[in-house]
Amino acid sequence: MNRPGRIALVVACVALASSGCDDDTDPPWQLDHDRIIAVRSTPPRVAPGEQATIDALLGFKGAPVAEQAPEAAVVLEPAGFEGALARDGARWVVTAPSADQLAAARRALGLATDALVPLKLQVDYAGGALRAIKTVYLGGEAANPAMTDVEIDRTSATPAALVIAPLRDVPLSIARDDATYDVTWLSSCGTMHDFDLPSAYLRVEADDPTSGQLALVVRDSTGGVNWQVWTIEAR
Amino acid sequence: MQSSVFAHRAWRARRVRALLAALAATAASATAAAQPITSPEPPPPGNTRDTSDTGDTGVAAQAPAPVAATSVIVTGRVIDSLGKPVAGAHVTLEAAATTLSDSAGRFRISAPLGATLIVDRDGYDVTLASVLGETLEVTLLAAGTRAEMIEVRGEAPPASPGAAKLDRNELQRIPGGGGDIVRTLTAMPGVVNLQIPLGYTGVVIRGASPQDSKVLIDGFEVPMLFHDVGLRSVVPAEAIESLDYIPGGFEVGFGRTSSGLVNLTTRPGSATRSEQAELSVVDGGVMAQGTVGRRTRYMFGVRRSTIDLLLPSLIGDADLSLTTVPRYYDAQLRVDHELSASWNLMVSALAADDLLEIVGSKNEDAEAKRFRKHSYFARATVSAQYRSGPWSATLALSGMAPTFDATNGLYQRIKFSYPMVTPRAELRRTAARAAGLTDVVWTAGAEAQVTRANVDIAIGTEPREGEPPPMVEDPKDVSETFKGVIWMPDAAAWTSLAANVGSRVRVVAGARGDVYGRAGEFVVQPRGELQLKLAPELTARLSAGLYTRPPEYQSEVLDKTLHAERSTQTIAGLTYEPFSGARVQTSAYYTDRRKMIVHAVDDDSLTNDGRGTTMGAELLATYRNAAWFTWLSYAYSHSTRIDHPGMARRLFDYDQPHSLNAAASWKHGRWQLGGRFQIYSGLPYTPATGSVLDSDRNVYMPVYAGANSERAPLHHQLDLRIDYSWRWGPAALTAFADVQNVYMNESVVTYFYSYDFSQRSSFKSLPLLPSIGLRGVL
Repeated sequence: MNRPGRIALVVACVALASSGCDDDTDPPWQLDHDRIIAVRSTPPRVAPGEQATIDALLGFKGAPVAEQAPEAAVVLEPAGFEGALARDGARWVVTAPSADQLAAARRALGLATDALVPLKLQVDYAGGALRAIKTVYLGGEAANPAMTDVEIDRTSATPAALVIAPLRDVPLSIARDDATYDVTWLSSCGTMHDFDLPSAYLRVEADDPTSGQLALVVRDSTGGVNWQVWTIEAR
Repeated sequence: MQSSVFAHRAWRARRVRALLAALAATAASATAAAQPITSPEPPPPGNTRDTSDTGDTGVAAQAPAPVAATSVIVTGRVIDSLGKPVAGAHVTLEAAATTLSDSAGRFRISAPLGATLIVDRDGYDVTLASVLGETLEVTLLAAGTRAEMIEVRGEAPPASPGAAKLDRNELQRIPGGGGDIVRTLTAMPGVVNLQIPLGYTGVVIRGASPQDSKVLIDGFEVPMLFHDVGLRSVVPAEAIESLDYIPGGFEVGFGRTSSGLVNLTTRPGSATRSEQAELSVVDGGVMAQGTVGRRTRYMFGVRRSTIDLLLPSLIGDADLSLTTVPRYYDAQLRVDHELSASWNLMVSALAADDLLEIVGSKNEDAEAKRFRKHSYFARATVSAQYRSGPWSATLALSGMAPTFDATNGLYQRIKFSYPMVTPRAELRRTAARAAGLTDVVWTAGAEAQVTRANVDIAIGTEPREGEPPPMVEDPKDVSETFKGVIWMPDAAAWTSLAANVGSRVRVVAGARGDVYGRAGEFVVQPRGELQLKLAPELTARLSAGLYTRPPEYQSEVLDKTLHAERSTQTIAGLTYEPFSGARVQTSAYYTDRRKMIVHAVDDDSLTNDGRGTTMGAELLATYRNAAWFTWLSYAYSHSTRIDHPGMARRLFDYDQPHSLNAAASWKHGRWQLGGRFQIYSGLPYTPATGSVLDSDRNVYMPVYAGANSERAPLHHQLDLRIDYSWRWGPAALTAFADVQNVYMNESVVTYFYSYDFSQRSSFKSLPLLPSIGLRGVL
């Protein structure tokens, strides 16, 4: 029941004070990096006959983050639901099938009669170099999490640009339960600490970039995703 | 004072004359049988064997005298009751040739088989030793400690082709262990070498999976050989008597492993009371040993880590709260009691406790970032040895209570405790001649191992051998969940017969039957060995046999349909001992592995679909004399496997084609200097070529290339060690410095990836690892 390899490596790294670990990779909170940060369905649960829009938050090396619709998208499963996803101009839209079709799908998938039907999508960006999967739940209703109760430097956050002091721990928080919500703080300015906790802090060291963006991504237990992005400067 | 010395010498002279007279009277009783190859009889606990009665292999054996006995060159060693070499001992052949043991206790003398040697040294009782073969080890007891006790022990050949046995003094002379002699295991040919202990128990042998090899202490399995941080074994150097390394082809008395094994023998207490302490930057401990009355010896030791007191200051401002980093204890106890002339009792106990707790945040209340691991075990063994004439027996009862308790964040946990009890009995009968055979040894034994595993796990699917680890773990993944009790009632029985056929050939044949109760499986494992004396200095050995490992690793215990993994091992070896102190042994092996446990193709269940092969060759050359101890080992290995029929063959995780170790140690006066150079291949790894974001779980799932399709680069390093000993009042002190990788060669051990697998960085070998300590003995 041991997990020897990983534990040995982790413990060895810690014990030797990282002398043998030469980690020069970007940390997971770094916004200045090419990647898909999160994929959002609005809304995350779709009632029969209703529609949801798919988009994503993308990070770029040397450029600000962007919200973009997928370049390409396909339904991975369940089989037979390929038609539930379609391009609508610049958008990708999921349309939930009728209640009868969903009931048939539940039977085929062995789900309870009132269960949500998971529609697993694959979305591509950068010509397929960046790829993600996202589940949209059919047969229910829910909204993406609200970006409220956010405090930055102990002040209620607004969409306005942020100015923080360098060489000081700047507390960041969102009033969410860590067991229910997945919270991620990201930044291209300064160094983020406890980036995956509801309460984190940002500190701009002397050799850190002093301007960039701060992002907060929140995932809930219903499949909902939301984010907020601020421009930030340290001076 | 002067007169007492003269009186003592006069008494010793009378003792020698009396012994010579006794020899003359019993000259005809010497063993007649020519025994070109000594039987591999293990030493009894306490390293003593009373041969005062008329056993077939005793000094006063009753076989008729030969008309003209064959003379052989006997190489041997004289040691004291602590196992330390005795220099300057007179080794005399019945009023004929005589020689002196050197500073390593070694001697060489020509003597007829069956003759008796008189071993005499000031300060020790005179001892007789019977020449039963070409090697001999003689234990001298301090004068007056045990009147009329005669101790003779033959130096057994390696347990199998490619095997090696080292005692504490030899192990301590190999640099690079950082003050821990068990870590010198990496110098053994066939042990996969990296700077940190590997795998499940800390040792990986002949490229197999880590769980395919066992670690035994005093003959019984322990769950781990090293403490968490990997710098120390669970048994300190001073509590170890010897280390047996058997990479394969072991006898029927050992089971439940399909690759090799390491057996540590704890040290019996000294005949002289002593206390000692040792302190280094890693840990500190105390040990005491001595006697209680005339029949009981004891050894007791306890140790605690000190690195946890230093490490937090080294971590600095990292986002870590090292609540306990890492703290460990261990303790050892051994008591040897002579019940009667025929019975000896040994009680040994061993315990280790490791605690590691890391909060990956400065916020110590961040439970989501807390990793806590607490593992501990205690094993206690009571063993009784009987020896009377040709019969000997061992009755043992051992129990172990291990627990592994780990939590990772808010959701994942493993709590696994599996107390077990193991009764074991083994009977042995020797005969100088039987049915036209000579030096016959018949062995039969049986054991049971009953385990009650209490399992409470909630974790993600654990990777099997060759499956790349989930480099970014999902702390909410609890796809593998089980809570309950599992009984594993296993039993085994074995028998073997060893005998010389003619003057040059020795044959060992046996079989072992294992019952793995959980799966209701019974496996018969035939094993045998052929030894051929090609020349007085050259012996060839060929062994073959079937070996099995029950499904007891990780989640294997949850599936009662799994069968034991099997391996068929074939090993051929040569041992060449050109002169006293020198030994060269080579071996070549081929292992065929079947019923290997792998994940099913379609889901996370386990099956016995895997097959694999390992082939290789090994060389071990050693030389010892008064000042020098030198060591050269090289191993070539190639381990491949097929996880499912029709799949491509791939490398094992621990396939290490080349491993070379060259070490030398020189002792002069108070100084001991040593160096060790090692060069070895990097291990295979599976490269990631990209990733897909699972946006629901906020995890990047890697896309991998072929399993183990690339290999980390070669590594080489030089280790140096210096010891200086002196007396300070009643204390004997030794200061040591052991520095690993002195020219700071940083090689890549393996690679790790960024969270989204778009970038790669390396875990490198440690640039320089000094270990400094002080040991004192009262």
